[in-house]
Order: sequence, then structure tokens, then C-alpha cells
Amino acid sequence: MRCFSMQLPKGKKHNWQGAAAVLTLAAVLAGTLYAFFYLRHDPTLTNMSGRLQGMSLKHPLGTDHLGRDVLTRLFLGGQQTIGSSFLALLAALAIGIPSGLIAGFKRGWVDRVFMRIADGFLAFPDTIVAIVLSGLLGPGIGNLVLAIVMVKWVSYARLVRSTVLSESQKEYVLIARINGLSARKIMCKHLFPHIAGNVLVLASLDLGKIILLISSLSYIGLGAQPPTPEWGAMLNDARPYFQSMPALMIYPGLAIVLVVLLANMLGDYLYDRFDVKRRGSHDFIR
Amino acid sequence: MILSVEQVTIGSRQKKLVQNVSLAIQKGEWFALVGQSGSGKSILSQAVGQMLAPGLNVEGNIFFNGQNVLKLSKKEMRTVRGRKLSYIFQDYQGSFTPFRTIGQHLDEYQKAHGLHSPQARMAGVREALQSVGLSEELASCYPFQLSGGQLQRVSIAMALLLAPDLVIADEITTALDSVSGNQILELLARRQQETGCAILFITHDWRHVRRYADRIAVMKEGEIIESGGKHRILDHPQHPYTKQLIKAAPVLKHGLPSGLQEEGKA
Repeated sequence: MRCFSMQLPKGKKHNWQGAAAVLTLAAVLAGTLYAFFYLRHDPTLTNMSGRLQGMSLKHPLGTDHLGRDVLTRLFLGGQQTIGSSFLALLAALAIGIPSGLIAGFKRGWVDRVFMRIADGFLAFPDTIVAIVLSGLLGPGIGNLVLAIVMVKWVSYARLVRSTVLSESQKEYVLIARINGLSARKIMCKHLFPHIAGNVLVLASLDLGKIILLISSLSYIGLGAQPPTPEWGAMLNDARPYFQSMPALMIYPGLAIVLVVLLANMLGDYLYDRFDVKRRGSHDFIR
Repeated sequence: MILSVEQVTIGSRQKKLVQNVSLAIQKGEWFALVGQSGSGKSILSQAVGQMLAPGLNVEGNIFFNGQNVLKLSKKEMRTVRGRKLSYIFQDYQGSFTPFRTIGQHLDEYQKAHGLHSPQARMAGVREALQSVGLSEELASCYPFQLSGGQLQRVSIAMALLLAPDLVIADEITTALDSVSGNQILELLARRQQETGCAILFITHDWRHVRRYADRIAVMKEGEIIESGGKHRILDHPQHPYTKQLIKAAPVLKHGLPSGLQEEGKA
């Protein structure tokens, strides 16, 4: 890390934002984990006599239209939303990075085949793919993740490929080849660290988009199915009670806004820290 | 005979970059390949290690230690590269992966060629750095922390790490100032004497040729127009282009261009 990222100068705009984003994201994750291990209420247990309650000590954020504890559902919903976003992101990275590396490094027909496949995937907008997939395979969070992976891996593959194309012309790659290193070693040890920063930046900026996508598709009923708690689905559940109990919509809505905002702040911070343009020359170190 | 290039033609579909070139390098000699930029010197040297960019085709035969390298598989080629044949390039800044230390570079190449014991590799790193006059502590430095001369020294250490039979030095002094350049060449010459490797020295600088080369080949527009011993080429050039090149690099001292003193004039 020491060498291909850099310390930001003090007072740089995104410095505090990065710290804040990391801390809050960590807190949210810790909260969801806590809720997972220490459940005070069953998130799916309905209690029709205690529906639509306001705040109380027993239910800090009240209960929803089926008498379920909102706070518990909010945390577990976060676990669903953030968890499946991370899953989608990791899967997209796991497909995109190797294919980009191989396409960029091998060039020739391998590159052409990979990129035509990528272009094919790129032709479909993410929402359309998600709707088509849930039409074909049935709605569910798993199929939603699959749809997002299908669309998102392309951007990573393209980013990695373009960086590898320019980097593999440089002499250190030539030297590594000349010294008898295998293609796999060169890709993993000499090229990948170069692109890791860029990929991390893109991934953190994408995280917010994916969270938004998952919750919006769950909102229209393509993602998590009831009674599974999920922020988008919770918004949808709360819709009929918008006028009598607006808090039911505000909590998951706020949660989505907060997490997406934090993910974007983290992305901005990482973008500054792994500033690609300045990394080319090592002037800032000398 | 370490390297024998026979009737080699290199080119893409549109253009021939190297035409019908033949040369032979003996064991332990310093062979200088001289020519302007764009005359095909580097392309030729890259063909020896099968390092050409995709799209360039090679015709002819290149024998290295009796094996035709153009017929070797990729895997066989990997055992030749680095171990029997190594390169040093002009761009010392670009020759090192920026986020790996000098020690990691040296270590990795030994590992790739089957040195499995970490202690032996560490010892190899230390020895390599000492052999080029650098302190062992540089092993934990990153490439950008070193000066150009130091980096080029490390390149030499890296090239000679596994005692290759042939080192191809492609304009290694061009990016250095003349003092560091001379030191680097002195070092290379000393290491050559110690290890007995042959050097294919690609340059356009006659001063270096004059001082170090045993034999010279002059390249122009993809063809070797003249080759022979140093004194033959420098003092009795046949081809008008060679004459022109030698004239363009005048000597200050009295005497012949090769540095020999003419009788009675010393």
C-alpha cells in the first residue's frame, strides 16, 4: 500500500470524508452483524394486536403494519441490502478483473472475443436485465444479484483491460518476461497491483449504485420477497400507511440515503488517494 | 559460438524492418551493433529472445547455444530467458515494477528459475548487489528511491544474476549522464571478464564502441552493411555510410579512430 497509494496533503477536501465514511460504514456493518447475532425480536413474527405502534422502549422505532419490530427489520434489511450488494460487487470483480487482465495481456483474438462478449452484455441496461431475469427465473434476491453481476462485470473488465494494455507496453513487463516469468505471475504480481487502485475506486463508487439498484428493484417487487426484511421492500410495505405512519417509510429511506452517500464519500476519498494521473510521475515523493 | 543469426528477415505484412541479416557472436566477446535509430537494431535483438511485438514475423534461423530459438515452445523459451539470455534496457526507470522492492525483483527471478531455498536466494540477492558495487540495504528500497546510475547497476546485477551466456545491452547508457554512463560500462566490462558472458552491445555511440568492442557490425535500414573486427571497421571502413558515421564522431587525440597510434606519430 505504501508505495502505490499516497498520503493526502492536510486539509485536502475529501480527507475527513473518507475517515467519516469508513467509520460510519463500519458502524452500520457492526450494527447489522449485532442484529444478526443478538435478535431481540423475530423480524418475521407478526403481532396483529400491536401493529403500527409508535416509539417505545420495547420497540425503539415502533412496529409496522403487521406488528413487526421496525428496528430489527431495519438492521436485518441492511444486512440483506448491503450484503447482497457486496456479494454482487465481489462477483462482478471476480469475473471482471481476470477477464480484463487476460484480454489486455494476451491481446489478439483472445482480446477480441472477450471484448465482443463484454459489448454484448453492455448492450442491455441493468434494470432491463434484472426484470428479464426475474421474469425468467422468478423474483428473488439471488436472481437480482445475478442480474447485477451480469451487467457490472463488463465495466471492470474494460477498465482493467485498458490499463493493462497501456501498462504491458512498459519495460518492466518486458523485463519480467525476459527474465522468464510466466504470464500468470506477471499478471498477478506486476500488473494487478497497478490497477488495484483504479478498480477499488470504481468499485466503491459502484457500491452506492448497486445498493440503490437492489433496493429500487426490491421496491417494485423483483428482489427480496416478503417476509424477508429488505430496505426497498420495507419502503414498499409502508406505502399504504404513508399518511398515517410516515415514519415507516422514513426509516428505510433514510437508511438507503445514508449508506449510498457514505459509499460515494468513500469512493471520492479513494479517488483522491489513488490519484491515477499523479501516480505516473513520482514527483510527489521526491 | 553462442549466438548465430542466419538470414533473418523481420517484418509486418506491410513493411520489412530487418532484411537478410546474419551475424555470429563468439563466447565471451563484446559484439557491438551500431546504427542510427530506426535501423532495426533493437528489433533484431528482441527477435533473439522471442520478444517481438505480436504482428511481427521472423524468417530465417536464430541459433542460440545450438538451439533454434525460433522453433522453441513458449515453455522452453522461458527456461532460456533470464537463465541463458538476458537483457538490459535503456529505460532504467521503466525497467522495474514500481511497487516491488529491488530485493523482491531479484528474488523473484531466481525463484522463477528453480531456486527454491529462500536462504540461497537471499544470499544471491546480496551477492548480486555487491557485485555491482551497491550496498545490501538497497534490497529493501523501492525503485524510485534509487538514482538512475544505481538503477542501471541493479539492471546489470539482474541481467547477470543467473550467469547467462549472452547479455543483450540495448543502448544502456543513452539515458544516463556521461560520467555514470562510463561507470556503468566499466562495471559491465568488469563483470564480463568475471563471468565470461558474451555481450551484444547495441549503441549509436562510437566512443563506447571504440573503447570496449571486440567486433562491430554496422546496421542501416534493416541491413548489416559492414561487419568485422574493431580495428578493421574503425580504421579501414569500406562502406561509405560507415565512413560517414565514423567521421561524424571525431577523435580528439592524434591517431587512428580505433585508438591505435600510427607508427612515428605517437
